[in-house]
Amino acid sequence: MLKLFREVLKVGESTVLYPFVPAEVMAGFRGRPHHDPELCIACAACAIACPSNALTMETDLDQGIQSWSIFYGRCIYCARCEEVCPTRAIILSQEFELAVMNKADLFERADYQLLACRQCGVFFAPVKELEYVLALLKQSGLSVEDLAARRTLLEICPECKRKLDIPKLVSLYQEAV
Amino acid sequence: MFGKNGRNQWLENESQYAIHQDVNAGQLKGALLKDIQRSAFVYRVDCGGCNGCEIEIFAAITPIFDAERFGIKVVSSPRHADILLYTGAVTRSMRVPALRAYHAAPEPKICVAYGACGCSGGIFHDLYCVWGGADQILPIDVYIPGCPPTPSATIYGFAMALGLLGQKLKTSYHIQGEDERVQPRHPEIPLALRIDVEREARRMAGYWHGKKISDAFLDLLKAGDPHQVEQNIQSYLIQEDDPRLAEIFARFLEIYRVRQGEV
Repeated sequence: MLKLFREVLKVGESTVLYPFVPAEVMAGFRGRPHHDPELCIACAACAIACPSNALTMETDLDQGIQSWSIFYGRCIYCARCEEVCPTRAIILSQEFELAVMNKADLFERADYQLLACRQCGVFFAPVKELEYVLALLKQSGLSVEDLAARRTLLEICPECKRKLDIPKLVSLYQEAV
Repeated sequence: MFGKNGRNQWLENESQYAIHQDVNAGQLKGALLKDIQRSAFVYRVDCGGCNGCEIEIFAAITPIFDAERFGIKVVSSPRHADILLYTGAVTRSMRVPALRAYHAAPEPKICVAYGACGCSGGIFHDLYCVWGGADQILPIDVYIPGCPPTPSATIYGFAMALGLLGQKLKTSYHIQGEDERVQPRHPEIPLALRIDVEREARRMAGYWHGKKISDAFLDLLKAGDPHQVEQNIQSYLIQEDDPRLAEIFARFLEIYRVRQGEV
């Protein structure tokens, strides 16, 4: 019995002091996904990767808005969104104190502008995503003229690109025949 | 999820079978929470969960986290309970047992949706056989998200349900600014080198770790001078002391040297 008490005294108190002191969180703990809306290019890679549809993207073609949203109540903290994010906009933080009284506080939303096609005026791609692509092309060493040409090409929607290609294809075909 | 009016349909569309809290019971609950000077007993209702949440609840009442020091005790009958803890995505066949537990608990009672499944159905939200969260069938007071919530998160949720701690999470709504642009990462490093390093990192360590490892390597490349870079990498590897990291960095260095030779 005394031996047991000695052991107990030696071990001391093992109860953690949380919530009176901040809880110790291990490195690599996957807590609340922290989304930096300024870094996001609205590419929707996270929404495609999210296995539980906590992350969703919605396109409003009338107003030209792409809205990103997360529902923390549905998130399973798998970090797939962090894996696929090309700009490091989503990083799983160490926050775990997510309990809420009001369900509306579990939602976050960010709206991004869509770009209208040069030809037909229909909204088709997020402005930030397109600018990011151009910045990458610039980094890869494209000249200013090439960049301008690429920009004209990128600002046309896939549908119009196809239509513009028809005359070229016809002429190529006629040359071949 | 956001309709034409821009309102959150996930929040507003409620199951037609949901039951609502009695007004008098709500007032009683408010009065109780203002001046709670006794223990709060918890009854746990498993509505078709995977048992991950149960394991964390029991971890929360072990001596390490010791929820019982706050008087929070898990009881085995809803008739003893003050707090009802709903875990699981609420399968079709668990709806009636969940309601029976709800009606068996004396007023005033606090209902807590626990875990991603309890809050919203989690990864099972669109299955044919689930209700998608306890709030589809019951009035819920506190949501504790997590898959599963850690014991600390559980204690935080209980403390919030009892009005001891405040809520930290707040909703946010960002609208894109005028000149909001994103620049590529590591602008000082040639794009081809960055892509090669990141691809090799993904191949060797997977996406998540690969990202961290390639970012660490590319940060070390900022020194510019090849001799200095190799020195920095050696000291970084000694500091990290991880043979797996050393192997991956050796591959990166090969790529770096090849690219350096091309310049």
